[in-house]
Amino acid sequence: MKKRLLLVDDEIEICEFLKSFFEDRDFQVMTAYSGVQALAKVESFNPHVVLLDIQMPEMDGLTALRKIKEKHPKTKVIMVTAVETQDKIEEAMRAGADNYITKPLSLEYLEKDVQEKIDSLAGV
Amino acid sequence: MAIMLFHLRNPRTVLRKALTGLILFFLGAVSAYLVSLILPQFVAGTWGTHPLMPVFVMTLISLVAYKPIERFVKWFLEKYLFRRKSYAQMTLMDLAEDLRTNLDLQELANMVVNTFGEVLRLRNVALLVPDATRSGFEIASSFGWPIAVSKRILLACDAPLVQHIKESGPHVVVRSPLLKSLSWQEANEMGGDFDVLRSGWVVPLFVREDLVGMIAFGAHSPDMVFDESDFHFFREFAEAVAPCVRNAQVVRQLRNTNFQLQDSQAEWFQKTKMSAIEKLAAGIAHEVHNPLAIISGKAQVLLMQKNRAPLEPHIEEALNVMVKQTRRAADITRKLLMYSQESKSPREWFSLGKILDETVSLVGYQASLDRIEISCSVDPELPEFFGNVQEIREIFLNLFFNAVEAIESEGRIGVELRQAPEAGIIEIRFSDSGRGIAPENLEKIFNPFFTTRHAAVGLGLFVARQIVSRYGGAIRVESQAGEGSLFIIQLPCRQEETAGSAKIAPLGKVLIENES
Repeated sequence: MKKRLLLVDDEIEICEFLKSFFEDRDFQVMTAYSGVQALAKVESFNPHVVLLDIQMPEMDGLTALRKIKEKHPKTKVIMVTAVETQDKIEEAMRAGADNYITKPLSLEYLEKDVQEKIDSLAGV
Repeated sequence: MAIMLFHLRNPRTVLRKALTGLILFFLGAVSAYLVSLILPQFVAGTWGTHPLMPVFVMTLISLVAYKPIERFVKWFLEKYLFRRKSYAQMTLMDLAEDLRTNLDLQELANMVVNTFGEVLRLRNVALLVPDATRSGFEIASSFGWPIAVSKRILLACDAPLVQHIKESGPHVVVRSPLLKSLSWQEANEMGGDFDVLRSGWVVPLFVREDLVGMIAFGAHSPDMVFDESDFHFFREFAEAVAPCVRNAQVVRQLRNTNFQLQDSQAEWFQKTKMSAIEKLAAGIAHEVHNPLAIISGKAQVLLMQKNRAPLEPHIEEALNVMVKQTRRAADITRKLLMYSQESKSPREWFSLGKILDETVSLVGYQASLDRIEISCSVDPELPEFFGNVQEIREIFLNLFFNAVEAIESEGRIGVELRQAPEAGIIEIRFSDSGRGIAPENLEKIFNPFFTTRHAAVGLGLFVARQIVSRYGGAIRVESQAGEGSLFIIQLPCRQEETAGSAKIAPLGKVLIENES
C-alpha cells in the first residue's frame, strides 16, 4: 500500500517542491490550494497524513482542520505555519492537530515526522 | 542705599529702625548731659572737670547697658506703638506675607511649622492638610516630631476634633477648657484626638466655610498660656495663611492629575504602538516566511539529491549556506513578532542571560552597522528570574535603543548581569560610551514623552521604569555629559517563590532547552 499524503498550501511553489520531495520517497501525493479544496480532496483521496497551512484564502487552516478531524478522526494532520503566535498554536492543538511545524521547513524533520505519523497509523 | 533697600522691602521695618535709633540717640544724649552734670560732684580734682571724662563714662555705660536698653526700646515700641504686637507676632505676620507667592505645599508647610515652633518656643508643631482621598487630615510638615511618626498620622474627617472645628468655625481650639465643657465620654474621645496630635492648641485654617488645614501645637510646659490677644493674633495669622495653603493644595492636585494624565496617555500610546507593530510583524512574517520556505525547501531538495549523485563541494556548501541563512532571516521576523506580542503569558522562571542574548542578536546587526561594539558579561552563578519574558525583553530592548541613539556611531555598549552585594537582588548594569545626559535632564529622562531627539517619542525609558517598578525594583542612572551613561537596574529575586515553585523551575528549564 502506498503512503498517501495531502499537501495544502496557497503557495503553489511550496506545494510543488514538497510534492517532488515526497514523491521521491515513494509517497502518493496530492495538492490543494485552499481549505475548501482540501476538504474535497480528503474525501476523494483519503490521505494518511495532511500537511495543512494555517493562513489561506477561502477557508483557513484551523477551520479546515476541525472539519477534517470531525469526519476523519484517524487522519493525521500536521499544521504548517509561517507565523506561529502562541494562541494560534494552542488553538490548533486543541482542535486536534497532531503536530505543527514552522516555515522555513526542515525537510529532514518533516520527513521524519510524517513517517512517524504513518507508522503510528499502521500500528493501530 | 541701604535705607532705599529697606524701604523697598518693608516700610514698617524702616520706620521701626528709625524710631528705635531716635529714641536710643535721645536717651544717650540725655544721659551724657546728666553724666557731665553729676560727674564733678562725685569725682574730685581736675579729673572731675576734664572734658574727656564724661565720654569715658558714657562709653563704659553703653558697653554694659546698650543691648538691654535697645531690647527694651524695641519691646516698648512694638507693644505700645505697633498695635501691641510682639516680636514673634511680627515675624509670623511677615512670614504670612512671604507665603502669599509660594505655591509649593511642602515648602510652605515647612516654613509655617518651623517659624511657628521657633519664635513661639513650642515643643512641637504640625500643619495638617486634607489627604489625597479627602477622607481625613494628614501631617504635611512637622516641627519637633519624629518623622516616622508624623508620616503615619491620619485624623479622620469624622473625628470629634474635626467635627468640633467644623461647627465652631475659625476659633482657636484650646484643649483643657474644651475638655472640661464636655461629658466624660466625649472628653475622652476628644482628648484622644489632641493626644494623637500631641497638642494643646489647634488653629483651624478656614477659607470661607472650607476647612483647608489645621496648625496643631504643644508647649514644653503645661503652664504655658496664651492670652486673648494671642488668640486674636492666631486667628489673624490663620486668615492670612489659609488661602496660601488652599492655593498650594490646588496646585498640587493639578500637578498630580497632570501626571496621571500623562501616565495613562503614555500607556495608551504604548499599547497602540505595540498592537500596530504586532500586526505589521505578523504581516511581514507571513509574507517573508513563504518565500524563505521556498528558497530553503528547494535548496534542501537539491542537497538531498547528493545521495544519488555527489554534488560539487562548492555547490553543496552554497546550498547549506542558503538553508542556514533563510533560517536566520526567519528568526529575525519571528523575534520581532515575539517582541510585539502583548505580554499575555504569565510569569515563569527563565534565565536573564538568555533573554539578553536574544536581544543582542536582535539589535546586534544595527549596532554593527553603526560600528558599536556590544559586550556582555553574565555571572554564571546568576539565579533564574521569575517574571514575564516579554517585559524583561522590553527593558533590554529599550536600553539598547537608547544607548545606540546616544552613541550615534562608533562606541561601546557594555551589559553586566550580576548579583548585587545585597542578598536576593539581581543587578543589570548597562553602560554606553555615548554623549551622556546633561545634568538638568537627569531627573527627567524617565518621564513619559521626554526626549532630546526629534524623531523619538520618549517612552523607552519610561516603559523600562514602569516594568522595573512592577517587579519592585529600581532603575537609576549615572551620567556626565560627554562621558557616557550607566543605567543600573536592581530587580529583587522572588526568594519565597524559589522554595514554593521548586517544581515549576525545572519545567521552565526543559521548555527552554526544547526551544533551542
